[in-house]
Amino acid sequence: MVETNNLNESAREEKKTTISLSPTISSMATRGDESTADPSAAEVIFDVEKLDAFYGDFKALSNVSLQVYKSQVTAFIGPSGCGKSTFLRCFNRMNDLIEGARVEGTIKYRGADLYDEEVDPVEVRRRIGMVFQKPNPFPKSIFENVAYGPRLSGLKKSKLAETVEKSLRRSALWDEVKDRLSASAYGLSGGQQQRLCIARAIAVQPDVVLMDEPCSALDPIATARIEELITELKSEYTIVIVTHNMQQAARMSDQTAFFSVALDSHGSRTGELVEFDKTETIFTNPNDSRTEAYITGRVG
Amino acid sequence: MSIEETRSDFHLLMDEVKSDLLRMGAHVAEGISAVTVALLAGDIDAAAAIGTADDELDLLSIEAEEKCVRMLALQQPVAVDLRTILTDLRMISEIERSGDLVSNISKAIGRLRGVELEPRLRGLLDRMCEQAVRLTTLAIDAYADRDAGLASALGDLDDRLDELHNDFLDTVFASRGDRILTTQQAVQLAVIGRFYERIGDHAVNVGERVQYLVTGVLPEHTGATRARARREESS
Repeated sequence: MVETNNLNESAREEKKTTISLSPTISSMATRGDESTADPSAAEVIFDVEKLDAFYGDFKALSNVSLQVYKSQVTAFIGPSGCGKSTFLRCFNRMNDLIEGARVEGTIKYRGADLYDEEVDPVEVRRRIGMVFQKPNPFPKSIFENVAYGPRLSGLKKSKLAETVEKSLRRSALWDEVKDRLSASAYGLSGGQQQRLCIARAIAVQPDVVLMDEPCSALDPIATARIEELITELKSEYTIVIVTHNMQQAARMSDQTAFFSVALDSHGSRTGELVEFDKTETIFTNPNDSRTEAYITGRVG
Repeated sequence: MSIEETRSDFHLLMDEVKSDLLRMGAHVAEGISAVTVALLAGDIDAAAAIGTADDELDLLSIEAEEKCVRMLALQQPVAVDLRTILTDLRMISEIERSGDLVSNISKAIGRLRGVELEPRLRGLLDRMCEQAVRLTTLAIDAYADRDAGLASALGDLDDRLDELHNDFLDTVFASRGDRILTTQQAVQLAVIGRFYERIGDHAVNVGERVQYLVTGVLPEHTGATRARARREESS
């Protein structure tokens, strides 16, 4: 399991020079000021066009085009092996860290090509954070877990405590841990650890938070807390989430993309995007019969 | 990708509710015919038996509704499954209400006290019965076959029943004017005519729900459109 802030170090080895993504990214617009009702009116954060993703010769994902909108929760659902996690990892170039992984097609992030060779993956991952399936706190104190990223990004020591508190408050964990910030993060429950990981991800003030099945290791109450938290966070962050739990996608997301497994012209299995629409449409009246079959349990 | 059923218990229960609704629809259609025969024959005993048969319909409707509640609570239905259960719930009350109307006709037969109806009234009642049975049967067929086209045609068919109803009322009042009927009998017949006409409306409502089931679009009611326009104007 690769951990969020370790990326900064591993990525630094990949590329020494730091190049800004684009001027528009450096001067980000104020977050949380847009309605989530009508996606066509919302700002496009990611614009994916004809994306193929490969692991060596294996084509994991074929010809995906979709948009992720600002301050919305976009969910990816689909059976195992449909490429939804691979796709998620394309958004912050996590797949770069896997030997032989590559993409074709384009992903534009706020208008800039994410895979342009001028782009610094470290900067990408600072702006586009990630939370994983299994809570993965560092073997450090609760405070240090959250302070790690901001400190690495050069935040002054005097500002650290304030940033840690703010992040823990935003991730709805502050009241539970404020009296034991120096205690080990491993002493927290699974749900608390996951909220700590969310605090850690937002401590570096990202623009987007990617979540790869963030609740699959948690009990229903902890899951409900995380879901509530995600709904609150979306006013400030654009969230993209992969989930195996269709009800979770239905409850939390504004847009849903359904991926499935298809056979390509050579008879090999590859992931494809079947349908992408408002979540309400997907779960009441999907357009594609394959989506309907999957969400109603008629496809094995 | 091969289609494989992964929630067979759930979908079997859904099929069961579909069968329940078809039975309820058939029950109502048979009831309309039977009550009309009793009405034309002035057969008060037959009319009383039809009233009892409505209890059976009530039981079927409660059982079907309980199955729907169970599916909603336990199966988190989505997409076509959700639309089906919502349609089923609405249809149960429409069909159950039609059954009540049949029962109301049977009660009114007693209040007519064996009046001999004139041929024109008998002919109109016969045709209203035929049209009400047809509408009810076609509405259920549209549901069974998921036929949105047939469902949308029910409104036009209902216009025919409305015309017959108007003719029937005119004839009832003319007969009253000619002193062939007492005021009490004329009122009872007018009410009976209204019951047939309402059965047609329920069939049209079923058709609207079937359209929603098939297309996912809630039927646009003229009044709702007007209200929405007014709301937007005032805001």
